[in-house]
Amino acid sequence: MSAVRRPQCVVIGAGPAGLGAALAAREAGLGDVMLLERDFELGGILPQCIHDGFGSIVFDQVLTGPQYAQRFIDRVEAAGIEVKLNTMVLEMRGDRRITAVNPRDGVFELEPASIVLAMGCRERTRHQVMIPGYRPAGVICAGAAQRDINIEGLMPGRRVVILGSGDIGLIMARRFTLEGAEVEGVYEIMDHPGGLTRNVVQCLHDYDIPLHLSHTVTFIHGRKRVEAVTVTRVDENLKPIKGTERRVPCDALVLSVGLIPENELSKQAGVELDPLTAGPVVDERMHTSVDGIFACGNVVCVFDLVDWVTQTAERAGRSAAEYVLEGGRRKRRPPVRVTAGRNVKFVVPQLLREFDREIELFFRVEHPERAARTRVLVDGEELYSRKAKMVRPPEMVKAGADPGGARRELENITVEVVTEEEEA
Amino acid sequence: MARNGVSPLSLGPEKLPSRAGLVVVGGGVIGCSIAREATRYTPDVVVLEKESDVACGTSKANNAEVHSGIGEDAGTLKQKLNVRGNQMYDEFVRGLGVELKRQGLLIVVTQRTIPRDGGMPEEERMELLTRKIPAGIVAYGENAGIRGLRILSRDEVFRMEPNVTREAVAGVFDPTYGLISPYKLTIALAEHAVINGARVFLDTEVTGFRVEDGAVRAVVTNRGEIESSLVVNASGVFADEVADMAGAGGFKIHPRKGATLLFDRQVTAEYVRSSVAEFRLPGQRTTQSKGGGAMPTAEGNLQLGPTAIEVEDKYDTSISAEEIEEIFERFHYLLPDFPRDALISAFSGVRAPTLEEDFVIGASEAVRGFVNVAGIQSPGLASAPAIAEMVLGILHDLGLPREPRPDFDPVRPAPPKFSELSNRERNRLVREDPRWGNVICRCETVTEMEVVNAIHSIIPATNMDAVKRRTRTGMGRCQGGFCHNRVAAILARELGIHVTEVTKDGEGSPVFLGVAKEFLGGGTR
Ligand SMILES: Cc1cc2nc3c(=O)[nH]c(=O)nc-3n(C[C@H](O)[C@H](O)[C@H](O)COP(=O)(O)OP(=O)(O)OC[C@H]3O[C@@H](n4cnc5c(N)ncnc54)[C@H](O)[C@@H]3O)c2cc1C
Ligand SMILES: Cc1cc2nc3c(=O)[nH]c(=O)nc-3n(C[C@H](O)[C@H](O)[C@H](O)COP(=O)(O)OP(=O)(O)OC[C@H]3O[C@@H](n4cnc5c(N)ncnc54)[C@H](O)[C@@H]3O)c2cc1C
Repeated sequence: MSAVRRPQCVVIGAGPAGLGAALAAREAGLGDVMLLERDFELGGILPQCIHDGFGSIVFDQVLTGPQYAQRFIDRVEAAGIEVKLNTMVLEMRGDRRITAVNPRDGVFELEPASIVLAMGCRERTRHQVMIPGYRPAGVICAGAAQRDINIEGLMPGRRVVILGSGDIGLIMARRFTLEGAEVEGVYEIMDHPGGLTRNVVQCLHDYDIPLHLSHTVTFIHGRKRVEAVTVTRVDENLKPIKGTERRVPCDALVLSVGLIPENELSKQAGVELDPLTAGPVVDERMHTSVDGIFACGNVVCVFDLVDWVTQTAERAGRSAAEYVLEGGRRKRRPPVRVTAGRNVKFVVPQLLREFDREIELFFRVEHPERAARTRVLVDGEELYSRKAKMVRPPEMVKAGADPGGARRELENITVEVVTEEEEA
Repeated sequence: MARNGVSPLSLGPEKLPSRAGLVVVGGGVIGCSIAREATRYTPDVVVLEKESDVACGTSKANNAEVHSGIGEDAGTLKQKLNVRGNQMYDEFVRGLGVELKRQGLLIVVTQRTIPRDGGMPEEERMELLTRKIPAGIVAYGENAGIRGLRILSRDEVFRMEPNVTREAVAGVFDPTYGLISPYKLTIALAEHAVINGARVFLDTEVTGFRVEDGAVRAVVTNRGEIESSLVVNASGVFADEVADMAGAGGFKIHPRKGATLLFDRQVTAEYVRSSVAEFRLPGQRTTQSKGGGAMPTAEGNLQLGPTAIEVEDKYDTSISAEEIEEIFERFHYLLPDFPRDALISAFSGVRAPTLEEDFVIGASEAVRGFVNVAGIQSPGLASAPAIAEMVLGILHDLGLPREPRPDFDPVRPAPPKFSELSNRERNRLVREDPRWGNVICRCETVTEMEVVNAIHSIIPATNMDAVKRRTRTGMGRCQGGFCHNRVAAILARELGIHVTEVTKDGEGSPVFLGVAKEFLGGGTR
């Protein structure tokens, strides 16, 4: 084995988050940036997202996933960033020692001055939502089905039932239909769709695909290949209502039941995770609890817009560069924790340390609400407020606030959603 | 193409031999144990298995426990063979490349063993709970021949397992209890038998027997007949039907399903370290099973279960919502803060009890040369070495050669596992073949070369589940989301078939139903 290399920055994962972070770190002055990706190509999840809807904020244009990714890939190649494909990071320690493997170099170790985590998400599976029944072929997660069809050119089902109305499920309902498969329906356990309204309209309504709210799949039939599923209506506590079962013949059950940030490596390195996001706790510089380890994109929390992934990536990459260029010596200030207030499920970043610039907070609401006002309270003082006709859990909200530079003895920052009704 | 006589249909069916010295029906852990033991005396052994791989029946869906025998009723054949089997295990697996972890079982005595409101004076109750019951458990085990049992105080219980209920009052530690991967063991036994001359035919279903003058003459299958005057019926839940085909039956198997929940390995690392079971008095067992417990699999995932439910269909490996709830509820007392959301999978297997609830092992009185090995419910895995030993005794009496072969090869080489190697060893392999450096399954760190090795092994893996049993692809947190298409592509390439012909577990279970544009009238395979 050759000597351990010590790059200035190693980025793990080359989706939009990793690409953006590597670029930002390079542009902020690091000469030796390395990008590790386990897949055979760059882009992360984007190469399989052949629908449009990417880039409206960052590029003010509507691009497809591959187009969006390509803009960054071209720049990464031009910037002289060292890219290692087919390279799987096996291990990461808290002292920033990384072990990775690929067919060319074998197993190798790196001791970078900084690390940016950008491993994205994995999909929740049938057992995490506990669907009883058999375990036949034909039960597949929506993102995996998307890869099968769009990358491999293979059809995982012909008569399909989709469980979960998250964006990926909705997009796949349309994709299956366009491929000549029949989508019997999309079933959603909640009483509201899990995906963006534009996707409900463009992917279901436009193709006459029924959306059954307050329904779930309660049994998978078929010993070898899916033969049918039982769908059942649920009550307000999401419990199946006896007597409302219906058997739906199909040959595939496609699940779009959520994403989980992929933080196995983070755990190994002792990075503190937020139970609400399942991702690392970060501060406004996207710095995790472990010195010199930064994180961005879907590994931090599930973003629905790639543009915001890119924004967090730029921040993480730039911060990593600053960290390295300062020799890792800057003392981190004790943080103020951001509180998720009324109707707020989580906020990222979870911690704030410096208040000399405008802060940006990403958050999700817990339940849909009309005529709502989002506000950020800094020590009781309202420093940000915006009205919305409607807030919904699938749509992440971004709020900014300028705490006014000098005031460094802050105690509390709260993000909350209030309704007109309540204020009256 | 077929090596050593193993030939699943997808590799082009090899003709069955016209005759064999011994035919074993069923490629489960029992059939493969018997076949492997028989090859110590003769290479002329054939195993017939109706599924596309060995270990496709109950032997793939159980709790991997090599019990000591403490949970069995005194005086049963089950207990006798279990205690003996456990003692034989290390020797039994030597040279197979399958690890037996004798990590021990913690049996916890809790407050509810004798409920507080039962009217018993408290002092007497605690005396029973902390002294007499643990001592009774130890005495019971020692009487059955189990060694090393140890009484634990409440504090010792917590030191061993900090997360068990505060209601724990005492415990017994059973150090001979172990864990072994049941399908890896079965596959290894089958391969070891083949190395020593046996032949294993997959996708080969026994449909009848030719019996003449009260003796078995031939085995009839979907692929032709094999003449043989020695037949072992080790067909699991189907043993009654197979015995009846020969007129050698007289027992009935009533299938009893058991479901188990499987959790992320991290839970095992952080929450339950060894195997834990709660002691219950006979009347307190809710179901016809040994009560189960929380136990790691041989690979380290934590299991909770199993349930025990009588079913009609011998193929009923479904899991109901009620069962899932029942398991969580049952173990909530023993493990109060158990992290439910670390659930990654659930599986269900079918036990094969007879009405008498004991093993039925013996030469048929009606049909000479026909040996039944039936009713092998739990602890069948733990008893396998002793069952094989007992059956070999019977076979010797029926004419199987008694002389051990001098040319018996004691070793079945196991392929290396990337995740278990040191970095130095890994690099040596990558230099030999870069496919060792291509990680296919990211959750379980399985490389392309391991998948290729599984496909070309002695008992070849010809579908997704068979690869999974040998390499763990798709067994992790994402359950194959990331790797299923990669594994399918490798299977197609190595088997020389189109990827749409790749199955999950044999005929009727295609992974893909077509290529893109095919349903629109376009696309080419
Ligand atoms: C089906 C789908 C449809 C979407 N549609 C839209 C849309 O219309 N508009 C929109 O704006 N957004 C959309 N999104 C969201 C957007 O694509 C994601 O938010 C974004 O791709 C997340 O970027 P990421 O870089 O964090 O993660 P990913 O794109 O998932 O990239 C993570 C990368 O890390 C690699 N990796 C992980 N672990 C390791 C390891 N140990 N070693 C090496 N590499 C590793 C992975 O291989 C992967 O390439 C969609 C997402 C999906 C899944
Ligand atoms: C939920 C559960 C948990 C358990 N846990 C444990 C445990 O922890 N420890 C333990 O010791 N035991 C345990 N057991 C019991 C153990 O799994 C069984 O005793 C053991 O696997 C039985 O092996 P077998 O070879 O007899 O049966 P099987 O593995 O079922 O093998 C029989 C084989 O015969 C084949 N076959 C059937 N009919 C034909 C035919 N006509 N032609 C050709 N082939 C045929 C079948 O396909 C099958 O592969 C458990 C059982 C269950 C259900």
